[in-house]
Amino acid sequence: MAPNHSNENGSIGSSLHGVTAREQIFSFSVEDGPSSQAIRSDDPTAKFALPVDSEHRAKVFKPLSFAKPHMRAFHLGWISFFTCFISTFAAAPLVPVIRDNLDLTKTDIGNAGVASVSGAIFSRLAMGAVCDLLGARYGTAFSLMLSAPAVFSMSFVADAGSYLAVRFMIGFCLATFVSCQYWTSVMFTGKIIGLVNGCAGGWGDMGGGVTQLLMPMVFHVIKLTGATPFTAWRFAFFIPGFLQIIMGILVLTLGQDLPDGNLSTLQKSGQVSKDKFSKVFWFAVKNYRTWILFVLYGFSMGVELTINNVISGYFYDRFNLTLHTAGIVAASFGMANFFARPFGGYASDVAARLFGMRGRLWTLWILQTVGALFCIWLGRASSLPIAILAMMLFSVGTQAACGALFGVAPFVSRRSLGLISGLTGAGGNFGSGVTQLLFFSSSRFSTAEGLSLMGVMAVVCTIPVAFIHFPQWGSMFLRPSQHEERSKEEHYYGGEWTEEEKSLGLHEGSIKFAENSRSERGRKAVLADIPTPETGSPAHV
Amino acid sequence: MAIHKILFASLLICLLIQSSHAATKERLFSDLEKSALEVTATPSRVGEGVGVDKLSITWKVSSTATKEPEFKAIKVKLCYAPASQVDRPWRKTENELFKDKSCPHKISSWSYDPAMKAGQSFDYTLERDIPTGTYFVRAYAVDTKDHEVAFGQSTNEDKTTNLFSVQAISGRHKSLDIASVCFSVFSVVALLVFFVNEKRKAKIEQSE
Repeated sequence: MAPNHSNENGSIGSSLHGVTAREQIFSFSVEDGPSSQAIRSDDPTAKFALPVDSEHRAKVFKPLSFAKPHMRAFHLGWISFFTCFISTFAAAPLVPVIRDNLDLTKTDIGNAGVASVSGAIFSRLAMGAVCDLLGARYGTAFSLMLSAPAVFSMSFVADAGSYLAVRFMIGFCLATFVSCQYWTSVMFTGKIIGLVNGCAGGWGDMGGGVTQLLMPMVFHVIKLTGATPFTAWRFAFFIPGFLQIIMGILVLTLGQDLPDGNLSTLQKSGQVSKDKFSKVFWFAVKNYRTWILFVLYGFSMGVELTINNVISGYFYDRFNLTLHTAGIVAASFGMANFFARPFGGYASDVAARLFGMRGRLWTLWILQTVGALFCIWLGRASSLPIAILAMMLFSVGTQAACGALFGVAPFVSRRSLGLISGLTGAGGNFGSGVTQLLFFSSSRFSTAEGLSLMGVMAVVCTIPVAFIHFPQWGSMFLRPSQHEERSKEEHYYGGEWTEEEKSLGLHEGSIKFAENSRSERGRKAVLADIPTPETGSPAHV
Repeated sequence: MAIHKILFASLLICLLIQSSHAATKERLFSDLEKSALEVTATPSRVGEGVGVDKLSITWKVSSTATKEPEFKAIKVKLCYAPASQVDRPWRKTENELFKDKSCPHKISSWSYDPAMKAGQSFDYTLERDIPTGTYFVRAYAVDTKDHEVAFGQSTNEDKTTNLFSVQAISGRHKSLDIASVCFSVFSVVALLVFFVNEKRKAKIEQSE
């Protein structure tokens, strides 16, 4: 029987293993078990600062350490992602100045906002392949250093068209989300990858908040040196540009693709039976749950990306704050990511422990709907304290929903896991593009009305989560199937392989995953698995 | 639970603040005395290039002004004409004075005493952060409480006559452009150097 190599570097889908943060990653396949252990057991694992598993992935997460190669990769990864968020949304807090310089209309500004998130739809999908081929270091470095020229070219922008083009090109760098998660997935073992990826994702997203503080501050300092406002904002973009170049160089010099070395110097061992891309793609696209998650993420992460673009200008215009103060308020939206996203993932896990997958779905629905309701409130708030309160509650709800969604995504498919994660991520950008286009790109709605309408749309578009049904675990309103065969996890995950592939044993990884996913049945099912003693209750008390 | 009580209390406080704010701000533009001041603005250009455009502005109290005794100061402002307000809600004209955003640029202000009825005439050099657009000049007369009581503007009521246009500076600088190109090139070249170097090292190691 051919061993399952779908975890090997280079096989389709492996680029995004671990992205979803809740999957089981197996370091060796069933057949190869003893032999691969024999090969590796005499490796000098003592050279690693952290305890490692048989694939040299770290078993422990120490956020305060910078030890080579694991923790270093983590920090380089999330900081690169953070830097890209800073660059992508750097224009947003400076829009009040830029719009005067370039004589922009609301339509121009809205369209540029759409453009800033659209590029990443494609670059995120492509980044998976880049990481597979060149390794995470080059994936990250490419993203950082090839988009740095776009950041610098803000100094050339003279009208609405060039402004839009530059924001579009800068937006490509959001692909670092994929390379960052890929890098941590190869560096950290499956049991802790959830926490590691949640932290990397959440802390990276914080960049969207930090930029609202950083850019007005840089702008202010440059003005103090005597520059006119219309020059100062252009020069301010040099800071994110420098950060990108510096991070790119750090990643290339300090980072390492894999625990054992860099991709180009390591020799790839053995035969790799790569999964067919067409099959992986087909199973991802055929599964209706993928598209529901696509829409859902579009209205949690999508809403978050949109807010990063519009919230600073909203507070500046509506409440007459200074650029600086509007930036501080807007920043607190993005900064909530530090704890809100991990919290969402944690809440999903707790719900799963008690109620299984149904708990995860309900958690996702509740968090996202509550967040969206607070968004409606934010648009209607006419006084500053209430607007800030609404915004904070909205941010926690929406960001936690992002975390909770990636508690569900790993279970949708095992074979096409990477592609589904990539599609979901792209859905976030797509949702952001749609909401900005509909509500913030014309003078039809005021920004306040746009916020409320976006909240309403988010509530409506969260309803589809009720239609996600797993035969083995049920859905929000339906119980799991009582059918003998379909109520088994193996049937669901095995269904992604043809009989021919099953006879070759290619589906072994999926079966193992299915066994481990029985925890998604919740507490009752776990208890039911414990065989009741023959005697039952004692005859005599 | 304690956190719920805290949230509820802060909500109540916020609502109270909001309701207390609502009462005070209802001074309307339509309540002001129109044409109490006669204002003219004539643009002229000094020298070549941008940033040195001048406006010659005069204002004087019109003979038809009735609220003249209340005037304590005259504030002259640069205002957007309707053409520059299209699709730009941050420059919207609102009747409530505190909401109105159509006259954000302060030109100058003069403290007023009755001897100044004949008005003032002065030159104003446009600031370098004035955006491109069509403008007119408006002078507000404010009372001791700093509330507007009357106004006059250099255009008619429909804001169609005597408008002038301003071309903003671009903010671009040759030195900035050059620096930008240099750093961009550095970024791409550095990446390529690393890439080629590593590929070469890998080839050497493989052939060993």
